[in-house]
Amino acid sequence: MNVVVDLLTTQYTYALFALLMGIGLYMMVASENLVKKVIGLNVFQTALFLFFVSSAYVVGGSAPIVPSGASGRFVSPLPQVIVLTAIVVGVALTAVALSLIVRIYGEYGTLREEALREVRADE
Amino acid sequence: MSDATLAPIGLIVVPIIAAALSLAAGLVRDRSGWMVALAALLVEAVLMIWLVDAVYRGPGRLVHELGAYGRPGSDGFAVGIELVADELSVLVVVLISVVSLGVLAISRRGGPRGNAFYSAYLLLAGGLMGVSLTGDLFNMFVFLEIVGLATYTLVAADRSAESAVAALKYLLIGTTGASLFLVGVGYLFLATGTLNMADLAAMLAGEPSFVEEALYGDTLVVAGFGFITAGLLVKSAIFPLHTWQPDAYSAAADSVTVYISALASTVAAYAFARVMLTVFTPAFFEVNPIAATAIVTLASVSIVAGSVLAVMQRRVKRMLAYSSVSQFGLIIAAIGIAVHPAAVDAGIPFAGIERTAAEFAVIGTAIHLVGHGLIKGGLFAAVGTIARTEGARTVAEYAELGRRAPVRSAAIAVLALALVGVPPTVGFLGKWYIALGAVGAGLWPLAVVIFASTVLTLTYVARLLERLYFTPRSVALPDRVAADGGTAAAGEPISPTVGAIVVIVLATIGVVALGFAGTEVTEALDPFIAEVFNS
Amino acid sequence: MTEAIYSLRPLLAVLVSAIAIPLIVASYRRPNVREGWSVAAALAKFGIIASMLPAVLAGEEFRWSFGAYVPGVEFALRADALGMLFALLASFLWVFTAFYATGYMRGLDEHSQTRFFAAFAGSLSAAVGIAFAENLLTIFVFYELLSVATYPLVAHNEDEEARIAGRKYLAYTFFGGGVLVLGGTVLVFALAGTTTFGETAAGLATADPTLARAAFAMLAAGFGVKAALMPAHSWLPDAMVAPTPVSGLLHAVAVVKSGVFGIARVVLDVFGPELVTDLGVGVLLAALAAFTLTVASIIALRQDRLKARLAYSTISQLSYIILGLGVLGPTAIKGALLHIPAHAFMKLTLFFCAGIIHVETHTDYISEMDGIGKRMPLTMTAFAVAAAGMAGIPLIAGFVSKWFLLIGSVETGQAVFALVLLVSGVLNIAYFWPIVYGAFFESADTADEKPLVRGPFGGHTPVPDGGTRSGESPVDRSEETNYAVDRNPSDHHSEEAHEEHDAHHGGPGPDGWQWAGWTGAEGSWLMLGPILAIAAGSVVLGIVPYEAVFLELIEQIVAGVSA
Repeated sequence: MNVVVDLLTTQYTYALFALLMGIGLYMMVASENLVKKVIGLNVFQTALFLFFVSSAYVVGGSAPIVPSGASGRFVSPLPQVIVLTAIVVGVALTAVALSLIVRIYGEYGTLREEALREVRADE
Repeated sequence: MSDATLAPIGLIVVPIIAAALSLAAGLVRDRSGWMVALAALLVEAVLMIWLVDAVYRGPGRLVHELGAYGRPGSDGFAVGIELVADELSVLVVVLISVVSLGVLAISRRGGPRGNAFYSAYLLLAGGLMGVSLTGDLFNMFVFLEIVGLATYTLVAADRSAESAVAALKYLLIGTTGASLFLVGVGYLFLATGTLNMADLAAMLAGEPSFVEEALYGDTLVVAGFGFITAGLLVKSAIFPLHTWQPDAYSAAADSVTVYISALASTVAAYAFARVMLTVFTPAFFEVNPIAATAIVTLASVSIVAGSVLAVMQRRVKRMLAYSSVSQFGLIIAAIGIAVHPAAVDAGIPFAGIERTAAEFAVIGTAIHLVGHGLIKGGLFAAVGTIARTEGARTVAEYAELGRRAPVRSAAIAVLALALVGVPPTVGFLGKWYIALGAVGAGLWPLAVVIFASTVLTLTYVARLLERLYFTPRSVALPDRVAADGGTAAAGEPISPTVGAIVVIVLATIGVVALGFAGTEVTEALDPFIAEVFNS
Repeated sequence: MTEAIYSLRPLLAVLVSAIAIPLIVASYRRPNVREGWSVAAALAKFGIIASMLPAVLAGEEFRWSFGAYVPGVEFALRADALGMLFALLASFLWVFTAFYATGYMRGLDEHSQTRFFAAFAGSLSAAVGIAFAENLLTIFVFYELLSVATYPLVAHNEDEEARIAGRKYLAYTFFGGGVLVLGGTVLVFALAGTTTFGETAAGLATADPTLARAAFAMLAAGFGVKAALMPAHSWLPDAMVAPTPVSGLLHAVAVVKSGVFGIARVVLDVFGPELVTDLGVGVLLAALAAFTLTVASIIALRQDRLKARLAYSTISQLSYIILGLGVLGPTAIKGALLHIPAHAFMKLTLFFCAGIIHVETHTDYISEMDGIGKRMPLTMTAFAVAAAGMAGIPLIAGFVSKWFLLIGSVETGQAVFALVLLVSGVLNIAYFWPIVYGAFFESADTADEKPLVRGPFGGHTPVPDGGTRSGESPVDRSEETNYAVDRNPSDHHSEEAHEEHDAHHGGPGPDGWQWAGWTGAEGSWLMLGPILAIAAGSVVLGIVPYEAVFLELIEQIVAGVSA
């Protein structure tokens, strides 16, 4: 019981991370629409960002921008850098994915996975 | 002679800059992409030779610290990103450099053109170099994603919708894999506080003074291992995470398929080897033997499943793609043996020098990694030119090609037999080491699978060989009426480009010549092996 | 291991025919030049090997090494007595086969002759490589190369039968080689730390007996596939769809003998007779061989196709050799090793006779060969001589080896095998004698039914009225066994290429066989010459086996092993 309480009050971000990851994966697998699959991918990646940011958190810490001569507690900057990089990667991937989807739509006229399969099976 | 530590950074940066240059050059002059790529890759080749000289004949393992942050602080951990070139990574660097140049020779006439294509091509080359040379786990993720992005773009490069669908599928599955890898990296970071591979290894082993004991049994670490493995196995296209590969390989343009089949999964498998051997080290698997068993089991399933699926294919490119699933299963199995506790302790004495089964497995991994890259690249190159000049894409359409395209058919025959593992080719050499590792360690089911893989590979190879030489066209394609060669509309036959033939022949000769390079590779890898098993 | 002389000669012996391959391919437009390359390569190969013979007989060995192929194992060739036995045999017989094959292929106007001769040269290269290999890994390399080189020969006809036979051949030989022999080699290396012949026994003796037995089983089974040991024998009858020179030299001499040679190496040099006896695996091997011996002979009785009968006879005779190797004991080993050349000479004669009969008269079925002695007297005489030798008649090669095998079995207390050998001898007579008798002493219209072929256990169902057979060609073959060799004539080629050979029109023809005389009017001398020469060779081998070099080599081998 204590574990659950502890989880829900202080480490809920990690639970949320797992939940979001599950949602993102489910969207990728179960959605018919290709754009929704990409959204699912984005949700999945956002879960990762959440994970890293929450791992950086230090109780009572402030944002890791250090004016010269200042001291005190700061949250860890390294995971935040990781997240920045990962966001950029995610943006690039989304862009590529969407441009592919534009091309697919242009050729086949549909974004639904089922219809796409039928159309391509006829080829 | 300036410090060779500049070579790793040069190898990564030059193609990336050249990629931008290619796009810029496209504004000035059309069709200049090929020249830019050629220039960049030639510079790469020079850097590669410099690096080879430094690592194998000179001081050995090289470290380049990006930004020269050094290792301040009491724990001596690296602050910035390090690039590390050791004996295993340089082997992969050589493969990347050689294959890049080779595919350039093919793609001049045979592939998609345009500066954007070569821009993506160079980006891929840079990304591949990055994965091979990085010494930082998160950096590896970034480069893996760069490789992925460039590959998705290249697969879709021929502007058709079919390749777009394949590329999208690859994107979704591949990104999931890379993200799983990132989760694993995150868990390891949480457990140890560092991302540098060497420092991670030290932390996990419990070496620094502020760590009480080794972290190998820690839940976070084991979970991290699980996620990293899952992610990299997706990228290496191991059954059942392989589903992106057949579509991607068959839908992509032919020269693109050569490039990605030889390198993309190879580099992912290298990444797996690097993480398992250098970061986790066999010590982790001693504490968690089930991890090694899991790797070996998954790999065995992939070996068998890949071959079974390959036999069922009618289209040659798909057949070869499933063949890759099987062959990468073999490589992953070898890595599994290399870290397996039974193999690490199993000595195989000969001629007074004692080597363990695990060491043989490491050598086998390296040899098969490079060897398979060459074999698959050569096969796809030959298949690609045949599709272009003869219009033959299915196994049945390969009938009588032994007569119409003798040089390429002979090359396919030799390369296919190398895939089966007929000595004295490099395919056999890799298999020998891996089999020796499995038998020496007493991993009997795996040994049986490895030996059986010879016959399994033969099942789909023999079909192709039979069609090439021993099946008349009238039997294989009874419904076709007149003779149909070439894709030209009216009778003028297309002949293959000189560049393509040269590349195919060189690949074939290389595959046979490397079959005799066993001792050289072993000697070259010795320092790396000592590092992995004695530390 | 005696101190070996470093020499390039073993390497040259292997390479000389490999070098001939590009020359053969390059001369594809000029058949005489192309065939000339084959003959030249054969003569050169035999010359190089023969030049090493005197020194080997004196107890020396020639060695060449590439250096370490993989750490701990060298890629090396060593011409020792056992290797010389096989190499001498193969290269000697190739000289004659080169001429014979020329006559055969031209007589049938075959397609793809360049590929044929090139593959032939490659196969002989691999065979000599197997003979001279110094360790298990080297022999494995050449073993696989032999499979690759002989596959185009099996699938030569390019029709469906040939392709099926080719697939089966590949499947069996790669399973035997790539899986079993490789597995055994790796296991031996892991147990003993070396794979060199003669040096592995020490390590294997101290290893876990189960693993050592497993290694023996894998190696014996792997080599046994090529040696047509049951139950892995069925590729051999199917491979008879290949042209007769292939069936002869390769499937009666080079390929199957390489399998037997491999078993000989395993028993004599990898494990050694003592260890084999200690592990108790020799008896198993002998039992399996005895089983193969007998069953193959019985199956041979039922075959009406000449080549099929010869194929099963080969399976049976190869097991004589394996039997001797399993029984162990010096005399039995001597008999086994002597049977290698003895059987080769005799079987090659028989196959060549079958070939020339096919070329000249298009006859493939024994039931159509009554009276053929009239048409082909020289051929059938050679056939009779070789057949007598197979049955063990003295003065011809098979007698001495059989004698040693019989004595060897009794000597080591395993007389049951002697009994098996005697029974098999009777069966041999049973399946060869009718052919010879029918050829010379009967004619097409006075021939009796062949009871075993036509009877209820045999190949055809009896004619409903149970009476005499009329003189027409046998027609309905659908009840025959479903081996490819039984479904189509052995050199069946596609219709478009050879309209004149369309219908199977073997047999004597409306006026019976024409008398051809003893001066060789019956066929081309390119084929007759080799037949008579090899038949004569089998007689020589039977009369003076020691002077004919082989027995001397064998005594040296046995002395070396027993030491």
